[in-house]
Amino acid sequence: MKENSSLNNVLWILGLVVAFPIALVLIGYGVKTLPGLLHLSYAQQFADNAQIFVDATKTTLLLTVTSGVLGIFLGTVTGIAKLSGFAPFRWLASFYVWVFRGTPLIVQILFAFNAVPSIVPSVVDLPDFDFYAPMVALALNQGAYNAEVIRASIQAIPRGQTEAARSLGLSGIQAMWLVILPQAVRVSIPPLVNNIVSLLKDTSLATVVGTLELANAIDRFKSQTFLVIPSYVTSASIYLFLTTVMTLFTNELERRFKTKSR
Amino acid sequence: MKKTALLLGAILLTATAGARTFDEIKAAGTIKIATEGAFKPFNYFVGKKLTGFEVELGDAIAKKLGLKVQWVTQPFDSLIIGVTQNRYDFAIASHGINEERAKVVDFSDPHYCTGGQIVSKSPNIKTAAQLNGKRVAVQVGTSYLSNVQKVKGAKVKTFPKDTDAVQALISGTVDAWVSDKFVVLDAQKANPKVKWQLGDLLFQEKIAMVINKGNTSVTEALNGALADILKDGTYAKISKKYFGTDVSCK
Repeated sequence: MKENSSLNNVLWILGLVVAFPIALVLIGYGVKTLPGLLHLSYAQQFADNAQIFVDATKTTLLLTVTSGVLGIFLGTVTGIAKLSGFAPFRWLASFYVWVFRGTPLIVQILFAFNAVPSIVPSVVDLPDFDFYAPMVALALNQGAYNAEVIRASIQAIPRGQTEAARSLGLSGIQAMWLVILPQAVRVSIPPLVNNIVSLLKDTSLATVVGTLELANAIDRFKSQTFLVIPSYVTSASIYLFLTTVMTLFTNELERRFKTKSR
Repeated sequence: MKKTALLLGAILLTATAGARTFDEIKAAGTIKIATEGAFKPFNYFVGKKLTGFEVELGDAIAKKLGLKVQWVTQPFDSLIIGVTQNRYDFAIASHGINEERAKVVDFSDPHYCTGGQIVSKSPNIKTAAQLNGKRVAVQVGTSYLSNVQKVKGAKVKTFPKDTDAVQALISGTVDAWVSDKFVVLDAQKANPKVKWQLGDLLFQEKIAMVINKGNTSVTEALNGALADILKDGTYAKISKKYFGTDVSCK
């Protein structure tokens, strides 16, 4: 039984890894052929630009994955720091959450791209600064929201769990790592998924600093062809498709954690 | 049921109603003009007040036509779409005349002539050939974008506004910027500390007002008024105020 579930897990992770490359292929194929199959007058313009849309979608996904992973890491560290017994950690964590949750993401992205180079001039020599600047801004923003999720999830675990762990002789850190966090993770999954789905859509804000992600590519296409409705319908469909694939896997993740806890 | 059908019909009718002809505008007494409001010195805000070369030109044209003006400001890449949807009577926002645009809108006679200039902070980036492999900032939806895309090896970076593109050049996150030569001059004046390197003109272009396709009565009225203000010296006066020279197409 146990072997079977670990095989299941491997399959699940494998699915997650190949799902998005397959999604990219499907998107490229769809953009290239769908308008033609429907005999739409602008099919050729879409076919010509299909590869650009695919490349831009790749950037969107890359931006989501990198800043999502960083954001979860930052959120976990900050969430735990917010519950720390050492006051300066709490202050630092609260200050970070206060700043990044209280200011608009678009301002954070513009700041990262336009203001940071005046403070640290050497960053502009980075090969893909217009990717890294919005990535860092998105990660910091995600981190602030995730921190509250993690904190709330830890606090949702009854105090008795800590007390029981401590009375069994575990240290504070051991109790957190072995007893509290595994239970908190289960509580935190739905809100974390929520944040990641928002993140995928929020990457479209990177347009303001010239990152060639999906929203920017569609914008260029729209302003060259003046095909307003087809452009927006395409961009909305691609985003919807990506979030659907994503939630397919996260729903499964939720289900797995639920059965384990029972 | 009948009411809903009537209401729906009314909505559909207004949605498909054509552009206002010049007679209809004249009867209403106010012309609706759209511009971007972020393209110094052509159209920009000083505090709350919309001003600039094209804004004053628009006002002068309306005055010649005996009309009051209602200004609308919109992001640049929405302007042509707004014209085709009749949200305003015309747009004066430094639209270069090109084929793609001519497919969906009509152009007036050009109200100034200019060129797309290469700007950088390095003396080694001055010609189109030297843009090979360089990151070049341009505003999305502009003729600068389509022209830079034709340059071999240039890595195009698009920004929603020219002000964002120039900021990217100043902070060094791009190697070059291509924009209207007068906008470049203005940016240079506003940021004297930056080591500007002005390069070649990537291309020449004629700039005109944008009117909805087939709305000839408005196009003719605008052309007539433009010819009048060119003749009576109003144009030259406005042009000298902003550029120190007459920028009309000769």
